[in-house]
Amino acid sequence: MAETRQFGDLATQLVMESRRSTLTDTLLKYNDNLVRSIVREQRDLEKLTDNGDAVVSPAMLIFQTAIVRNKRCLLAYHKHRLDRIRDMYWAVGGALPHILSNQDIRSKLSPHEVDFLRQYSASVMEYRAGFSNELDITASITHPPKDLHVLVRVVRDCGVIQTELGSIDFQKGQRFMVRRADIEHLIVQGYLQEV
Amino acid sequence: MEDDDDNFFSSLNRPVNNFQNRLRNAPVDDDGDVPIRDAPLFFQEDEDETPLQQLIRHWMNERHAPDILPTEEDLLSRLLDHIRSQSETVQLLRSDPSSSEEEHFRIMLAQTEVERVKFIVRSYLRTRLFKIEKYARFIMTNPEVQQRLSESETDHARRFARLTDQHFYHSVLQSLPDTQQTLDDQPPFVPPMVTEPEKTRAVFVHARQNCAPVRLPDGTGLEMQKGHISLTPYATVEQLIARGEVELV
Repeated sequence: MAETRQFGDLATQLVMESRRSTLTDTLLKYNDNLVRSIVREQRDLEKLTDNGDAVVSPAMLIFQTAIVRNKRCLLAYHKHRLDRIRDMYWAVGGALPHILSNQDIRSKLSPHEVDFLRQYSASVMEYRAGFSNELDITASITHPPKDLHVLVRVVRDCGVIQTELGSIDFQKGQRFMVRRADIEHLIVQGYLQEV
Repeated sequence: MEDDDDNFFSSLNRPVNNFQNRLRNAPVDDDGDVPIRDAPLFFQEDEDETPLQQLIRHWMNERHAPDILPTEEDLLSRLLDHIRSQSETVQLLRSDPSSSEEEHFRIMLAQTEVERVKFIVRSYLRTRLFKIEKYARFIMTNPEVQQRLSESETDHARRFARLTDQHFYHSVLQSLPDTQQTLDDQPPFVPPMVTEPEKTRAVFVHARQNCAPVRLPDGTGLEMQKGHISLTPYATVEQLIARGEVELV
């Protein structure tokens, strides 16, 4: 037990983790241990400031600052993860099962984050339902559509899909010329690939 | 040659006789194809601006403004109605075996155009959604901003604000000592916890007409002539944008 570390060192580690996540553009595993350690530090700090006498000592000021800073770091870490999770959600066009069935992603989320994602998705779906007659607001907005049709290659089997030309059974390795709007979500989710 | 092209495309815009007549006689189509250009115009200066052009302007404004702009619900619902009726028309004509080769070509153009309009509508809504989520807590404490949102947007903001609060509470705050559980601290020397739109951000504005003079932060006035482009803080031109006198570029 090296007791030489200062208050706030752990929080700095946590924020560094968020930075790494941004720089490498990946979602890192939820760091439960570190979060718990910081929460413990918060409780210790609280006890130190809670000595009873009304005298404001310089030490007290340091403890207070550490408390405020730690709390902000904790929240920033969680907020940053929520932002990444939301980005991920939109990147696959709001296909919740697609994210949750992915073991690799699933293992990186904390149980609370999974809850958040589910409820967030429910909220977005409710908002989307208001436009369901005309358009799907979760479709891609990165590239404006240039062509109506698109030539796709099937990367993974995805079963029978209803399209403008009737139902098509997409099987791995086949190529199709289909209407973009019909299969856009399959491209996003990685079932089909544009050729 | 150029002229031919122009005529061709403008005739697509106009209700084409052939299409229109067949539609009128079509048994299942009861709501008719109301050309959107007949829709009432709200602003004097928009007289030569089609609804789509208006939406594109609002879309660009929305994308460049740091704050959430008032929702364009009327415009949007008119466009959505039009998208729907166009899609139905296209469906009807596609399944009609007597459509000629040339008409199929026109159908394809109409379909492409519908997809493009959808793209802009989608991007416009998503831009707003992004800001709404970013400022959710600020919106929920500020009724003035809520007025700029449509009903479903306000609902989403409320749900999202509650959701993030819950998440913070469950993951962090509930295990902290009682005195540390608030989410709206305003400690000295650090930014407040509730994110607010940064209204001093610089934006490029393009004057669509001669504008009333505005006061810059340093006290001098700025009077923009039509076509003038300048770089100013967002707060300075906020009113001009709301009146549609300028657009963000």
